[in-house]
Amino acid sequence: MKIELNNLTFSYKKRSAPVLEGVGAVFEQGKRYALTGRNGSGKTTLANLILGLLKPQNGNILINGEDAAKMSAALRAKKIGYLFQNPDLQLFAPTVMEELAFPFELTGTLTEEKQDELQRMLTIFHLNGMEERFPLTMSGGEKQRLALATVMSRHAEFLILDEPTSAIDRECRSFLTNFINGFAGGALVITHDEELIASLDSPHLLKLEGGRVHEA
Amino acid sequence: MRLDPRARLLLILLITTLAVLAKDIAYLAIVFFAALAVNAMLKINIIGAAKRMRHFIWLILFIAIVQSLTVKGGTALLSVGKINFLTTKGIGFAAEFVLRMGIILLAGLIAASSDGREMTDGLLKLGMPYELAFMSAIALRFLPVFRDEFVARINAMAMRGIDIKRLSLPKKLKVYGYLILPAVSGCVIKSEELARSMSARGFGAEKKRTMLRALKLTWTDWLVMIIAVLLTAAYLVFMYTYGNLFVL
Repeated sequence: MKIELNNLTFSYKKRSAPVLEGVGAVFEQGKRYALTGRNGSGKTTLANLILGLLKPQNGNILINGEDAAKMSAALRAKKIGYLFQNPDLQLFAPTVMEELAFPFELTGTLTEEKQDELQRMLTIFHLNGMEERFPLTMSGGEKQRLALATVMSRHAEFLILDEPTSAIDRECRSFLTNFINGFAGGALVITHDEELIASLDSPHLLKLEGGRVHEA
Repeated sequence: MRLDPRARLLLILLITTLAVLAKDIAYLAIVFFAALAVNAMLKINIIGAAKRMRHFIWLILFIAIVQSLTVKGGTALLSVGKINFLTTKGIGFAAEFVLRMGIILLAGLIAASSDGREMTDGLLKLGMPYELAFMSAIALRFLPVFRDEFVARINAMAMRGIDIKRLSLPKKLKVYGYLILPAVSGCVIKSEELARSMSARGFGAEKKRTMLRALKLTWTDWLVMIIAVLLTAAYLVFMYTYGNLFVL
């Protein structure tokens, strides 16, 4: 898995100053990247461009050498998983189990093997016994683990985590860092949290400043 | 021109009332151009608003076309055999519909171009209870928040590998069900948080209220309101004295 950003430029309005200007970066399999930058510097915008939720005005994105402009956001989501800063926005279903299962139901891929796998995910993400809970009333850490489980249920090869520690307790933070460090695919962590960066295994430090990505 | 929210509210009330009472295309056209003039006077960007509402405008035009093809009566303009597809009455109905909707949209622009807080102050000055006026202001304030959250949830669906456009209708309905559940519970949670936050800030603790911004009607506001009322009265007297101006 390799994501290449070439000369990306993006602004929210035609005549306003670009949020990102000529951004270039490469993200590879098995590596961890920590992206920092001031509030409003364009970190989440960059993630949205990679995910196909926004379109760059200039430049291109290559995913495994293929031009991502030809891939819809749903198609990119098969390879790239995204953990929102606010997990409330990515939880929909009335129960934890349905939360994990409904995308597979809708796409006709909820086989018995998949159901077994989803059961195993409950154990991996410490959600055992919560199958019937309403996700939106769970604690911040539980919601974050469930959101991550939904991302991993699609076998994402690359993860983008947007401020993943903003609303979780120490125990969940430890779970999350262990998970990121043990993840075989690539991971881009967007964060202000220096403690999180320090706990990542040999991360590549990047900083978004003045609309460009710099090695920190 | 800057007008007091009460003057704006009066203009909106008069324009929408006339849109309902107007008897035919000629009367509607007068109100339509008057509403355009009011928008121009308030320096409202009508072209920009039309671009933003283009989907809605297309829908109005589509309904008008359907109406012109289905309403019978008057002189036939297009017939196939004994069936009339386009009649003068059909075109008249469609034109009236377009003008009426146009007037309502123009009146809506006057409301939308006003500062929400100012409108609340205006409603208060007109005697609306503070709680109701505050609720209206809060509702307006949260609309963009709900819109952004809804867009984020649609994006989150795409991130789950679900391309809504490609789903069959029953599956689409199911996805919309999943989108509505968190939206409704999100509203409930937000309103509870808001209620707690307002209580913590002493909302309703004192009966007597003071205002940060005091509204004051200027002579321009009075002049605009008097002219608007007089013109409306003249319009109504003329319409009910002389009846229809344009008969199809």
